[in-house]
Amino acid sequence: MSLEFAIKGRAGTLSVEASGKLPDNGVTVLFGPSGTGKSTLLRMLAGLHACEGMIRFDDEAWQDEPAKTVLPVWQRPLGMLLQHPTLFHHLSVRGNIQYVQKRRGKGVNLEAIIEETRIGHLLDRAVHKLSGGEAQRVALARALVGNPELLLLDEPLSAVDLPHRESLLAMIQRVAQKVPVLYVTHSLDELLLLADQVWLMDQGRLTAQGPVTTALVSLTGPLAQRSDASSMLSGVCGSFDEADHLQTVLVDGAAFMVPLAQAKPEGALVRLRIAARDVSLCRVQPMQSSILNIHPVTVQEVTPTGAGQHLVKLALHSQTLLARLSSRSVRELNIMVGESLFAQVKAAALV
Amino acid sequence: MLSNGDWLALWVSIQLAFVTVLLLLLICTPLAWVMARRRWPGQALLEATLALPLVLPPSVLGFYLLLLLGPNGPGGWIGDLAGLRSLAFSFPGLVIGSVVYSLPFVLQPLKNAIANLEEDQLAMAAVCGAGPLDRFCSLVFPQARLGYLSAAMLGFAHTLGEFGVVLMIGGSLPGETRVASVALYEHVEAGDYANAHRLALVLLVASLLMLWGLFRWQRQRTSGSWL
Repeated sequence: MSLEFAIKGRAGTLSVEASGKLPDNGVTVLFGPSGTGKSTLLRMLAGLHACEGMIRFDDEAWQDEPAKTVLPVWQRPLGMLLQHPTLFHHLSVRGNIQYVQKRRGKGVNLEAIIEETRIGHLLDRAVHKLSGGEAQRVALARALVGNPELLLLDEPLSAVDLPHRESLLAMIQRVAQKVPVLYVTHSLDELLLLADQVWLMDQGRLTAQGPVTTALVSLTGPLAQRSDASSMLSGVCGSFDEADHLQTVLVDGAAFMVPLAQAKPEGALVRLRIAARDVSLCRVQPMQSSILNIHPVTVQEVTPTGAGQHLVKLALHSQTLLARLSSRSVRELNIMVGESLFAQVKAAALV
Repeated sequence: MLSNGDWLALWVSIQLAFVTVLLLLLICTPLAWVMARRRWPGQALLEATLALPLVLPPSVLGFYLLLLLGPNGPGGWIGDLAGLRSLAFSFPGLVIGSVVYSLPFVLQPLKNAIANLEEDQLAMAAVCGAGPLDRFCSLVFPQARLGYLSAAMLGFAHTLGEFGVVLMIGGSLPGETRVASVALYEHVEAGDYANAHRLALVLLVASLLMLWGLFRWQRQRTSGSWL
């Protein structure tokens, strides 16, 4: 287990108390509304915000309650991105990279990192001449040059304009294959794209920790309560229909047709996002429907969400689909747990 | 040009200003830090006390310093250790007096510069592996360099211009405590206006050059043209 902690502290009037274990790799998204203490928790883990309790990393005590030991920030092998890139403004881009290289960049492959973050052409720039996206790429490069064994990212996209977010997210995803990443955000899009695990935070407490697919479809959880509640399916890319721009994605063998501008390489692992409101149910297999994706499913759970609506959790082979139906449909179709039905998926998108 | 005695007085002034500024930069760095970045009880009172030299007549300050440094005060037995009768009427005594007298002129710019440092810059430097001393040298000092330059220039110029305090605690021993401003005063007292003119002009031009250089540098810095 990479990071393990049980800590508490304060940020203004908010008391933050949390314990958890971070998986060895992949992205864990710390998700919750603004002002619930996500950034504070991240800073506590980094050692930038005072707290009580225990923090261990790879069997090394970063902070230990009875022994009262605290490993200072500059001795913790971590990299960090804040909401604003926070580059040292008295140094050039190169100076920023060298700052960390001198201190903890022993044996690091600088060329590869500069290549990966595409900052080669920026090295001699002054920091204030960078765009938000460029600056955050430099900040990511700077974090990676420090050989981090853990990356703590605090809403790193908030100062990055929309067109540049995707490439930065892709970089973070690649990094996460080697280094565990704890990623703070309140954006569901970022969660869907990045998360392997999700930690939900509310009013200073971690309310749930688990795989993203489970967190999304937990009917009592906050994610399913949202109007844009979605489920996520993992699939493998199949063939691409050039004429109709449809990409086949196999989800446990079930073929989904997804509209796409350009073909994905066959065999690529992808995630499909399916909004609960785009899923409807039929007792019999619909014939001659305009809807391309119709799959047999099993009802696992039915819950009213108020305002005349129900959420239905459906098993599609080993994965889970979410459907939002009107309460009247649920009653008239008499949908019961355990039944086999057909799910019509009106829209599925690659994330 | 200047007489040998006046050159010597000018040289004492410059030595005094140099040593004073050096000491003040060392003293005021931690002081400015705790004042700008911490809140603690009694802070306002200490700040007011340290700012007193801005408003007090220098003779008031000089009087208390004389009591403090003289043979009957703590300066007496500290002076004993150094083989002096007292710290008053000695160069070390002048340095102590100047440090007190010029402190606010060094403290204030440093405090402003340190208050303007961003918390997150310091945090990221720590995350990048820099310990406290390292952070000071690699981040705080370079980012606050304008404040340090202003502090040094103001402290230097102000110590050169010191008169009341040195008159009270310095005496006028040539080569030891006879500084330029006191030498000028003595020329005027003696009716030697020719020498008074020369010395006054040298002090005027030197001070103007220093302040002019400082303001030019500040203007360039704020317009960002040299970055």
